[in-house]
Amino acid sequence: MRRLLVRSLAAVVVALAVTAGLGAASPASAADEPVVVVGTEGTYPPFTFHDPDTDDLTGYDIEVVKAVAKEAGWRLTFVESSFDSLFVALDSQRIDVIANQISINPEREAKYGLSTPYTYSRGVIVTPSDVDDITTLKDIKGLRAAQSTTSNWAGVAKEAGAKIEAVDGLSQAAKVLEQGRADVIVNDNIAILDYLATSGTKKIKIAGEAEGQQTQQALMFRKADSQLKEQADAALQTLRDDGTLKRISEDYFKADVSIEDGGEAQAEGRAGRSALDVVKDQAWPVLKALVKVTIPLTAISFVVGLALALGVALARISPRRLLSVPAGVFISIVRGTPLLLQLAIVFYGLPEIGLNFDRYVAAVLAFSINIAGYAAEIIRSAILAVPKGQTEAARTIGLDYRQTLRRVVLPQALRTAVPPLSNSLLSLVKDTSLASTILVVEAFRVTLNAANESTEYLALLILLGFYYWVVCWILSIGQRRLETRLDRYV
Amino acid sequence: MTTPLVRVSGLTKTFGDTAVLKGVDFEAAAGTSTVLLGPSGSGKTTVLRSLDTLEIPDAGVVGIGDVEVDFGTLPAQGRDREARLRALRAQSGIVFQQHHLFPHKTALENIIEGPLVAQRRPRDEVVAEGRALLAQVGLEDREDSYPSQLSGGQQQRVGIARALAIKPRVVLFDEPTSALDPELVGEVLAVIKDLATQGWTTLIVTHEIRFAEQVADQVLFLDGGVVVEHGPPAQVIGDPQQERTRTFLRRVLHPGA
Ligand SMILES: Nc1ncnc2c1ncn2[C@@H]1O[C@H](COP(=O)(O)OP(=O)(O)O)[C@@H](O)[C@H]1O
Ligand SMILES: [Mg+2]
Repeated sequence: MRRLLVRSLAAVVVALAVTAGLGAASPASAADEPVVVVGTEGTYPPFTFHDPDTDDLTGYDIEVVKAVAKEAGWRLTFVESSFDSLFVALDSQRIDVIANQISINPEREAKYGLSTPYTYSRGVIVTPSDVDDITTLKDIKGLRAAQSTTSNWAGVAKEAGAKIEAVDGLSQAAKVLEQGRADVIVNDNIAILDYLATSGTKKIKIAGEAEGQQTQQALMFRKADSQLKEQADAALQTLRDDGTLKRISEDYFKADVSIEDGGEAQAEGRAGRSALDVVKDQAWPVLKALVKVTIPLTAISFVVGLALALGVALARISPRRLLSVPAGVFISIVRGTPLLLQLAIVFYGLPEIGLNFDRYVAAVLAFSINIAGYAAEIIRSAILAVPKGQTEAARTIGLDYRQTLRRVVLPQALRTAVPPLSNSLLSLVKDTSLASTILVVEAFRVTLNAANESTEYLALLILLGFYYWVVCWILSIGQRRLETRLDRYV
Repeated sequence: MTTPLVRVSGLTKTFGDTAVLKGVDFEAAAGTSTVLLGPSGSGKTTVLRSLDTLEIPDAGVVGIGDVEVDFGTLPAQGRDREARLRALRAQSGIVFQQHHLFPHKTALENIIEGPLVAQRRPRDEVVAEGRALLAQVGLEDREDSYPSQLSGGQQQRVGIARALAIKPRVVLFDEPTSALDPELVGEVLAVIKDLATQGWTTLIVTHEIRFAEQVADQVLFLDGGVVVEHGPPAQVIGDPQQERTRTFLRRVLHPGA
């Protein structure tokens, strides 16, 4: 028994090591340039978004941080996540800098290391087109404002007395406003212009200035990383002096937003694509994410989870309380807490006690622990359903505990366990979408990014749903085949 | 005088508050057949299971061949206990009332499982022996059949072959025909009778009195957790001394009366 436990644990360790290898597959670092991990939304055009033609991450902030890196001699890795997650990611050292139009404010200056500004902008108030009585911040008191909660603009709206409706990014905010689920948005002038141009929507409009909200945006580092911040400041100074910042800005806005009063910014947007075009464009990237991330994540987590589950199930059945009680506690905790919470604990919580896992490893760990909790109960009851006469017969012909388990009990338990385990697998396929909350760019995140960028939510979400359904359909065919095979002797 | 192959003395076993075995004593010589009779609940199954260590008696001694375990002094746990029980277990093979064949293995696979996996003997050898055993129980053409594809009598015969395959010193039968349709009983009893003539030592729990008379060298009558009467069948069945034995035999031989 103990050896079997040790074996399942060894299997888990090996699988984790393999995923760690996969996750850490960043390009071999050249020379001794420091690798700086940039966190960004990738869904906030024209600052940070994916070029619809090439699918490459681009935008004003992206080009600026790339130029800074070139000056400062950094090698960059980009991590995309929702705005709110960026802050936790920076705190827990998942990323080193945020390049995402971070507005400078006193609280942030106190807590973080902010570079000199590279954007000067102003806030505007957005309302539905048919609303005429909201033009200043005073008018939004008591109204519902759709905002990313940690964003500076949420602070402005709250200050003005609005109630915050939490969303993931500007594009979602705009949707919520168009759908009448919110009354206003306060956001950056340029971002709004870009959204209006891209979506071509006539349902919402810029209703007025968020007066007194001339803001400046900067790169944001951890306070402790003062060296990175200083390098960034020096680099920005050089880029300002040699005209690089001006050039990048004019590329995107036909004005220089990197200085005060650099002209009225404009946004062209990326309009003119139908929902069908967007779906056609995204069909491949989403499928790629499904095949390269979602499916391996599911498969590895399921295998590791099952190995763990077997160990937990055996411990649970064991007459030794030293094994059965901890196993029972483990099962109870896993089944009694949300998977989302388990993911957050592994990824954001454990680093606080020095356990800093790569995001893919963290995802595999959380998912396999979750599977282990549920599958352990399935395996336990399947083992108990094997008639006692079977183990007795095995014992009388001389089989020991492990041989009995492997050759007599588990093959028979498998038949009982396959349908419920298949259910767990199907759930897992879909639950991996939760990994999007810990910076894993899997199919759901890719789809959401594309939807935020193109504003075509319905079509893209249906596309993703269709993909998930196909995967699950194939898996259930596999389940039926397996059941038929296992039924051959019954 | 040689020591008997099977030696049981002072065997006691209590389940909860019920004392099931209250000091069972008997012996059986090598190559003989012993039939164990007794009313339902008298502890016959418990005696057999104790010999094969499926039940651990509270006290008493079981000796088979040169392996002897004194349950009164057996350590409660640990390597030594396991090793001793394993040694005793290897001395006997058991045929259950419900065959308990492995449903996911074919007839031949069921038979070779013990020698191949537990005894780690070469596959060629155990397969050849397994086939011979199948032939012995009259199933040479069914080696690839799964238990579910066999009749009750055939299943029980595979069960017998499986018990023989580990080459035990004594073969234990726990009512091997009780679960069978009447027309299938004969084929199983014939196989058991064969074993007796081939020199196997057998200990058989059965209610087939006529069969017992033919096959037994010794009959034990168990009641209330003790051996009430023992001797050759002509004596115990033909001319029982104890009233309890007589009552039992009357009930078994004339169920309607
Ligand atoms: N595992 C057990 N737990 C509790 N009681 C048992 C157990 N096994 C047998 N018994 C009881 O012991 C008595 C003898 O059982 P058994 O040896 O099966 O008798 P027999 O085979 O002669 O019918 C019965 O009363 C039975 O209920
Ligand atoms: Mg019985």
